[in-house]
Amino acid sequence: MTARLPPGLQLEKVDDRIMTLNVGPQHPGSGHMRLIIQVDGDRIVSCDPDPGYVHRGEEKMAEYRNYITNIPHLERPVIHDSCNILYPYCLGVEELLGLEVSERAKYVRVIASELNRFTYTLYWLAIYGIFLGHSTMFMWPAGDRELAIDLLEKLTGARVTHSYFVPGGVRNDLPANFEDVCLRQINYLEKRLKAYADIFYDNPILIARTEKTGVLSREDAIRLGTTGTVLRASGVDYDVRTKEPYDVYDELDVHTNVLKNGDSYDRSKTPWLDMLESCNIIRQALEKMPKSGSVRVKLKPNPKGGNDEVYKRVESGRGSLGAYIVSRSKPEPYRVKLSVGSFRNLICMPYLLKGEKLGNMPAVYWSLNYWPVEADR
Amino acid sequence: MGTATGIIRALNSGIKHLAVKRFTLRYPEEKLKFVGDGYQFDPTTGVGIAGYKGRHMLFHDKCTGCQLCAIACEGVAEAIAMVKVPEEWKHNKKSIMPQIDYGKCVFCGLCVDACPFYALYMTNDYELSSFTKEALIYTPSQLQVKPEVKQDVDIVIDDRGATHG
Repeated sequence: MTARLPPGLQLEKVDDRIMTLNVGPQHPGSGHMRLIIQVDGDRIVSCDPDPGYVHRGEEKMAEYRNYITNIPHLERPVIHDSCNILYPYCLGVEELLGLEVSERAKYVRVIASELNRFTYTLYWLAIYGIFLGHSTMFMWPAGDRELAIDLLEKLTGARVTHSYFVPGGVRNDLPANFEDVCLRQINYLEKRLKAYADIFYDNPILIARTEKTGVLSREDAIRLGTTGTVLRASGVDYDVRTKEPYDVYDELDVHTNVLKNGDSYDRSKTPWLDMLESCNIIRQALEKMPKSGSVRVKLKPNPKGGNDEVYKRVESGRGSLGAYIVSRSKPEPYRVKLSVGSFRNLICMPYLLKGEKLGNMPAVYWSLNYWPVEADR
Repeated sequence: MGTATGIIRALNSGIKHLAVKRFTLRYPEEKLKFVGDGYQFDPTTGVGIAGYKGRHMLFHDKCTGCQLCAIACEGVAEAIAMVKVPEEWKHNKKSIMPQIDYGKCVFCGLCVDACPFYALYMTNDYELSSFTKEALIYTPSQLQVKPEVKQDVDIVIDDRGATHG
């Protein structure tokens, strides 16, 4: 019964009771990746994640383009979190080129990246709802996402793939009246997010489905090198925004949400708590933002960095997102490496799924906040 | 909280939601309103002006045929080609202007940032579909036309919820 697998991926045949299932790469539940699962009855014996189907060579492409031209293609791995994936790249290039970003631009970047957290996390939550058969939880976040997308569209001029962050600040200033519209829509969005508690997070059916499934202990979470919401759901107080504040996060009051159990329920709840925290961050940033000032440093054409290398990281919707950039005195970077949260969380999949029922596989898999396109880059 | 109470609260939340307004945009009849007339760029300050990144608009009286927009597009989409135009301008000796292939364009707007003469802007027009690939290639004379768009629906928030109204 063993499926024919490519060399290096064959799984050990235990006995005749074991069957190998390929979930993906075209399964609607897996995204563009494959999970090679061995089941005994409906118990999962082993799971081997097989990513790489959407590898686009973004890092290699970056070596042939200059620091500005890299922007539109580097945001492609996560098109609905595109501000956050450009954030570490821009911070790194600013250090390489010695650019001083204005205070207002820093606040605008914080607002844009927190708005992007909504568009990503609400999309993720909608998919998590439909994975569990809770179609109401698909409809509500998918609709409320419109509020955050509308704000980003007014700010950046595009609903996804904003190409908004550039080394030296942001592309354009806030449109007229943006502060009031933003405040009004964020306050309403917060009210809507709180309404998810009754129908989803406090719903006994969801709790019965996800509680105590796929438990990742605190020690395992640290040992496997997980990051972001997965790490915080396992009881580790780690958030790049508070531990290594970048831009103006040190001037803002950011609360880290830490849950203890490390099961699928906690992993699905942490992003929701993070979104509620994002509402607070945006309100603080709108209040503290300088009312005037330039938002972009004027760059020479084809700017060159020195012989230097830099590593910067930010907190994205999926965890810590780092960019390592090497410069060799040329307009193009010598090397760009993205260290993404999705790929780092992928490693716990075999540990979490072992011994689970096959029916719980979607509940565990999507709670990892995994985005296949970002992991493959 | 007991199981029964939890289920009743979830059902109650769902029933109450029936009265909440929802986002439904009746698209071809209604269109979303955008800020301003499209993304523009001010080369003197080096900062853009917020607006939607849609189809471009080319000002023939300002374009000098310097090709900076085509150079900015290299490595991004390679959508811009410089073509001969049958017009004669004092500031455009070679009589070349950008022609944009919307089959390739990613609407990042870096060409607008590159233009030092206020000649290339973006507009609110995003309805560019066509039956042939050739029709997606917009010549300088097509880019000169200001698009006619009627976009007036914005998000309205009241006590009963938020909607496109």
